Amino acid sequence: MKEIKLSGLDQSVFTEKLENGLEVYMIPYTNKTNYSMHYITKYGSINQTFIPVGQKEKITIPDGTAHFLEHKMFEQEDGMDPFTFATQSGTSSNASTSYQITRYYFEGTNCFKENLDYLLTYVHSPYFTEENVEKEKGIIKEEIRQYDDEIDWILDEELRKSLFQNDATRIDIAGTVESIQKITKEILYQTYNTYYQPSNMVLFLSGCFDPKEALSVIKKNKALAKAGTKEPIREEKEEEPVEVNRKEYRFSFPVVHPKVAYGIKVPLPKEMDKYKFYLYVGMILSLLFGLASPFRERMKKEKKMTSFYYERNWVGNYLIIEFYAESPEAESLIEELKKELRKGTWKEEDMNRLKKVWISSEVLMVDNISATIDNLLEDLIDYQKLIPNKVEIYQSLNNEELKEVYHSLPLDNDCVVYVDPSTKEME
Amino acid sequence: MNYKKIDMGSYQFHIIQTTRFKSILMRICLRDKIKKEEITLRNFLTNFMTYSTATYPTKRDLVLKTQDLYAANISTKSYRAGNYNMISFYLSILNEKYTEKGMLEASIALLADVLFHPNFENDQTFEEAFRYLYQRTKMNIESIKEDPGLYASIRMFDEMKDDQPYTYHEHGYLEDLDQITKESLMAYYHKVMNESLVDIYLIGDIDEKEILSYMEKYMKFETFKRPKASQIITHEKKRSRPRIVKETVPSNQSKLSISCKIDELNEWERNYVLTLYNMILGNSSESKFFRIIREENSLAYFIYSSLNKMDHLMLIRAGISKENFDKTIELIKKLMKEMEKGNFKEEDVEIAKTNYITLMKEIEDNEMAIIETYLAKDLLNLGDIEERKEEIQKVTKQDIMKIAKKIKLDTIFLLEGGLEDEGN
Repeated sequence: MKEIKLSGLDQSVFTEKLENGLEVYMIPYTNKTNYSMHYITKYGSINQTFIPVGQKEKITIPDGTAHFLEHKMFEQEDGMDPFTFATQSGTSSNASTSYQITRYYFEGTNCFKENLDYLLTYVHSPYFTEENVEKEKGIIKEEIRQYDDEIDWILDEELRKSLFQNDATRIDIAGTVESIQKITKEILYQTYNTYYQPSNMVLFLSGCFDPKEALSVIKKNKALAKAGTKEPIREEKEEEPVEVNRKEYRFSFPVVHPKVAYGIKVPLPKEMDKYKFYLYVGMILSLLFGLASPFRERMKKEKKMTSFYYERNWVGNYLIIEFYAESPEAESLIEELKKELRKGTWKEEDMNRLKKVWISSEVLMVDNISATIDNLLEDLIDYQKLIPNKVEIYQSLNNEELKEVYHSLPLDNDCVVYVDPSTKEME
Repeated sequence: MNYKKIDMGSYQFHIIQTTRFKSILMRICLRDKIKKEEITLRNFLTNFMTYSTATYPTKRDLVLKTQDLYAANISTKSYRAGNYNMISFYLSILNEKYTEKGMLEASIALLADVLFHPNFENDQTFEEAFRYLYQRTKMNIESIKEDPGLYASIRMFDEMKDDQPYTYHEHGYLEDLDQITKESLMAYYHKVMNESLVDIYLIGDIDEKEILSYMEKYMKFETFKRPKASQIITHEKKRSRPRIVKETVPSNQSKLSISCKIDELNEWERNYVLTLYNMILGNSSESKFFRIIREENSLAYFIYSSLNKMDHLMLIRAGISKENFDKTIELIKKLMKEMEKGNFKEEDVEIAKTNYITLMKEIEDNEMAIIETYLAKDLLNLGDIEERKEEIQKVTKQDIMKIAKKIKLDTIFLLEGGLEDEGN
């Protein structure tokens, strides 16, 4: 067991890699009553083409398989399902699928050892039958149809289609009503056997528990012991070109006010630290467009926006900057936004003020056991390692490097999606 | 954890001393009898007060100030609880052990500035804030239609055809928004500050003497003392059979929103028995609704029930395909009937109790929830966490069957997705 101290935060992470390749991350707290356990496979909706374990030919699975598989893990051969098991001890349980991962989790205040043992057992006990696969299609269809009614969801999806030519994040995580019809028991097993090997998984434990006891439960778990095949994952991913897919796209939807999404696709510059690059881009966005930015003040005065937010996310080695707004003058707002990006002026003191804000949010984050898991998991997914000295890194950020990063941004590699209000007539 | 209530004259000050958190949270609670025509004004005023102040006349000035205080966060939330209107202001800061000395006092001073020095003095910045908030509020109200779940719920309350506070639109009304002027806003501000019942809650690792000196220095409320009227709403009229209303919109999924009226319950039944009834019927992944309607019959992607205890209402919400409407309603009725007949296991009751106790334990890890506990103690006469854990154990299956007979379907509203189902 290795201890990693999260510097400046009074908190440690204990890690251990098991023989079967499973990585365990434990974050024990002394001032909490609850705990949170997340069992994660590094398999999400974007892992679509691969050679299944024990086979020679590559296959491409239907859109939405990862999400479908997640739903199906809740079906167990003995009829007891994880919801029921967890509820008996007052524990809450759920699962989620993203582009890159699938996670199963328990959160509660008692029966830590029993729940941990059960979490590992059920995730390593798939039970797919033709009948239960068919039944699930009805439930997932409703879920997809619900997303189809949510404009923010659709706008996000259309922006991704504009940003990417090939990358699988173009495709909705849940797939489509048509694509999930093609999912079969066989496909689920092939996928499961490939991506749910312990060597492709990580376990996070956080909150009120004893790491030594936890490790002993993990090492004794029978289902996990049987699961170890440790086969390398052989998969294919589409090469994604630097250029965006479409510059401008427009569609109508029954919304009351126009909406707009604007994206910039930024490849990670060579010889730049990926995490620092991420921080500097965040800094630039906060300085130019944050709550305290002159830009916001001016746009509100000119009545050009009512709601406005931005985010940035890694998709492979592309940092995607996204802006979303609701505005009576969407086109004009985007023009102003582009101008502001190109002007790129800020004060050094504003940057130092933002550092205070970031440090403060890091301390608060570590007070929340689930947020801490998310934070560390993001490190693993985006940077393939834990970053335990974030507060120090924040403190080291400086205006010279900030300017350098700013000048490296390919601001013209952008795209915009407009939503026009329509009054769709009922027939 | 150590709780203490101090009478400060014009308000009650509740201090919860604990070393569990790295932050400090303060909640100012102002309550008064709700009036329909004041809801829009209430929302506008609280947004206005947290947007800028006389000292920090633009949003930007105010944000820069909070950033200087290591991201001190001031926010507001208003809602209705039974017959009452609840206005809250929150201040959340890092304990100054992690920042620098003086931050606690400076943050409380900033919150006081928000409360006592609204931006009424400078005409130009007032106008700017007013115009922006007007436009944002207008768009928010107009956008309700874009959220089918929310829209279905509002429409359902309309269709209950009761002139009761639970039918009031929480987001406000466009016609009232157009009536708001600087004068009406100022008048309402003075009314809120002078006539509300005020409670202030504070949780964190703090020194009592120090905090009391700041409270005396900055929190100068001048409210009149008035007797408290009951917050609880009871129903005189009840339907013999539910009212069904359908409305069609161009979306894929249909949203179901249902209300059930509950006969007047005593405090214990309302606080404990009803809670367990709801958990067993529709408020957990083990509930009858989830198990039978979603899992066994694949009729809905989501379905759950929830309680508005102060309104004596239970609400049911679901996302379904329109062709499953009749079947879903039939099952809901059947499952509610089974609760009356006692067709559920002792084990279901035990599981619900265990879940309840876990929820109680989890409160201890959440500052906001701890404050809610003490607030509920005053509003619903609910016990503190330990008392609640004891009381819930006393509930029997018979108690649950007894109150099950007092819950009746009232209004069933279906927001029908008019788009063709091309999936199959």
